[in-house]
Amino acid sequence: MRQEDRERATIEAATRVVDRLVVRAKTPEDLEVALSDTLYHERRRLERERSSRPRTRSDQAFYHDMQRRLRHASAADLRRALDEVARRFAREIVGSFDDRVYRLSTTVVPTGLSLLLGATTPTKLRSLSGLRRGLSDHLELQGALESVRRLEKLGTLIVVPTHSSHLDSLVMGYAIHLMGLPPLLYGAGLNLFENPLMSFFMNNLGAYRVDRKKQSALYKEVLKEYATVALEFGYHNLFFPGGTRSRSGAVERHLKRGLLGTGLAAFINNLRAGREKPRLYVAPCTISYKLVLEAETLIDDHLKEVGKSRYIIEDDEFSHPRKILRFFSDLVSLDAKVVLTFSRPLDLFGNPVDDDGNSLDPRGRHVAPESYVLQEGEPRHDRQRDGQYTNELASAVARSFVTDNVIMSTHVVGLALMGLLARANPGMDEYRLLRTGGIAPSFTHAEVSEEISRIIAGVRSLTDRPRLAPDLEHEPAAVLDDALEAYGCYHARRAAVRRGDRIFHEDRNLLLYYGNRLRGYDLGRRLQH
Amino acid sequence: MDERVAVIGAGSWGTTLARVVTSAGRPALLYSRRQDLCDEINSTHTNSAYLPDIHLPACLEATADLERVARESSLILFVVPSHGFRDTARELGNYLTGEHVVVHATKGIEQATHRRMSEVLREETCLRKIGVLSGPNLARELAAGQPTGTLVASSYDEVFRRSHAVLNTDYFRVYGGRDVIGAEVGGAFKNIVALAAGVAAGLGLGENTKALLLTRGLSEMARFGVAMGGELMTFGGMAGIGDLIATCSSRLSRNQQVGERLARGESLADIQGEMRMVAEGVKTARAVHEFAREKGLDLPIVAAVHRLLHEGGDVPTLLRDLMSIPTGAEFVALAP
Repeated sequence: MRQEDRERATIEAATRVVDRLVVRAKTPEDLEVALSDTLYHERRRLERERSSRPRTRSDQAFYHDMQRRLRHASAADLRRALDEVARRFAREIVGSFDDRVYRLSTTVVPTGLSLLLGATTPTKLRSLSGLRRGLSDHLELQGALESVRRLEKLGTLIVVPTHSSHLDSLVMGYAIHLMGLPPLLYGAGLNLFENPLMSFFMNNLGAYRVDRKKQSALYKEVLKEYATVALEFGYHNLFFPGGTRSRSGAVERHLKRGLLGTGLAAFINNLRAGREKPRLYVAPCTISYKLVLEAETLIDDHLKEVGKSRYIIEDDEFSHPRKILRFFSDLVSLDAKVVLTFSRPLDLFGNPVDDDGNSLDPRGRHVAPESYVLQEGEPRHDRQRDGQYTNELASAVARSFVTDNVIMSTHVVGLALMGLLARANPGMDEYRLLRTGGIAPSFTHAEVSEEISRIIAGVRSLTDRPRLAPDLEHEPAAVLDDALEAYGCYHARRAAVRRGDRIFHEDRNLLLYYGNRLRGYDLGRRLQH
Repeated sequence: MDERVAVIGAGSWGTTLARVVTSAGRPALLYSRRQDLCDEINSTHTNSAYLPDIHLPACLEATADLERVARESSLILFVVPSHGFRDTARELGNYLTGEHVVVHATKGIEQATHRRMSEVLREETCLRKIGVLSGPNLARELAAGQPTGTLVASSYDEVFRRSHAVLNTDYFRVYGGRDVIGAEVGGAFKNIVALAAGVAAGLGLGENTKALLLTRGLSEMARFGVAMGGELMTFGGMAGIGDLIATCSSRLSRNQQVGERLARGESLADIQGEMRMVAEGVKTARAVHEFAREKGLDLPIVAAVHRLLHEGGDVPTLLRDLMSIPTGAEFVALAP
């Protein structure tokens, strides 16, 4: 965000949130409750954090002082205090980085990525453009690219990708550059800024800071309001609507409404303010990896936490820059593709949008998006209604994910081996199977190939089906070889290996993880028959 | 003057709802494809074909112009039989904007696709603010001003608020809810039970039998509804048991009449040929039966009625089928 907008956005977001609280409060006690809730959550957070960090110490001093001042606070004092806290939150979210860095970002990002690649493949260091090609060779862009490019000029974009890896933000940043779009604003976890390498990209891609450890309602409100204000200022935004990286490996089907709803709030505010380009366009986007850097920890997390939701991963692969470098180098040497597919853009109500920015109804007729928010002829906010609209949008985005997900050899082979394993061990529960491997340590090449063709045929017969990567057109044996090679490339332990004529499953958690990319497609019943 | 409320479909139910609107103090615009019917309503204030002996107020105007309906009213009650529902929705879709609120009052499931009516509206128009009106609402009784109530269900609270404002009167009590699926399933499903109840009545069977049929029918309705994504409680309400009792008790119900006449030995083809109005239960039985089979749901009453209507069954077989449904724990199957 430009420096001149930065301060404005900070104040605007904080003021709006506090004003809303004041309007909603029936008595001064309500304000006190709001403030106490915030102080309580912040104190608890600070108790858990290491006190040596300068940020933690500064927070401690701030809240300690506030607590002391609030002993005999009037309503006006409370309001002032809330405003102070809200601004403190907003300032942290907006962050402070060098404006020159931001302006340079469009050139710095690709060069940075090239340098990153350069560090991993020294032989190519001689030519920067050659290096850049190195990454673009591995990143394939497809889908509604032209449409997204055109809509960027007509209104404000909200790009909503699937999320399976921390690399997603890098991949998105690079893709946005290749497409010739301006950088996108997006909220990245505070912990990512602590890794110097990631921090470099985060800042350059226009990231703002999201501290998932801040649990108070006030913080979440300020965060959402900042996103809303940024959209109103015309900054394109990127949210991961799954909220967190997919732990299971499956494509997200249940999306978080919070940030998604900011688009509608911004749209209504734009209309009310009579802004010139009030419309916002939502661009769903699926990022499909043949290999996912963090697969092992993600699936472990999934198996431990099924049924619960957990959003904070403290220590993961991304605290180790060397690991990222290795991944890049493996990616380059293996020629493992990352496919990024832009789905057809949507309006905020889940309608598809044509290249001229017109919303279309299911029969392709034009519909004015403004009409959805009118009440007695005026654009108005309506919490209940707007929440439902956002549900509609979330479903439409989830449908795009389902049909634009790109299936690759690693996914098919993961599912094939897990399917064979389950059939070889009837009645054994999944966890035991994953732990022990059951009674069949391997399957013949022919069995696995047969299962692969069954799966591919099954996927082709689905009504709501994902896309299939072109190399799945090859013979099943080639698909199998391709996946086995990929499995052997990066992960500490191979998911499966071939010895002679037999395929051995080695890391079943990984197989489950990759196979899960085909979860939720109603394939199960098709494969039984 | 208050905005006009539009009603699409000038059959007995549509005309009745338009009349309720006028008695709640609003002018109404009633759409019919048939110009002659519009002329009759506008000149003599009657709808002799569908609602004989009922006088319609002057502030109820009829029109055959669908575009005008959408232009002049942002609240539309959509009362078109399930077989014509999609076509009319698509045509209306030419004129709708996101501001429109459409509440449908059609009890049925689309035969070819097994879609609920709100889903058809969603597929054919730009609408989001969609609602369903359903309850113990026999058109003739309501047209005569006899007290009853109904449910307007929508995911959008605005739909209920606005419907309530134009429909709630001292004789028509409008309740609200968010379970669209439950309300639609209840309204469609009860017609199947009513058909079976009609057969029982036609055979001269008494109140015990009817109560047995209704109770087990309700249980099947709830099982089916929950499988479709509805909420169990809805079936204990206006659009569930409320509608079921009214439909199965009334001689006015078309579905009951079909059942009774089948019991007297008439053929389905003959009965349908003679009836001016549609008995939704005949079609719904097929749709629900097919859907249940797809989903592996056990719905024995539906299966028995389906056999009678569509698999060449006869009345004695229906009775035998019904009375040989296995018995066991009464509520166990209700759990979703």
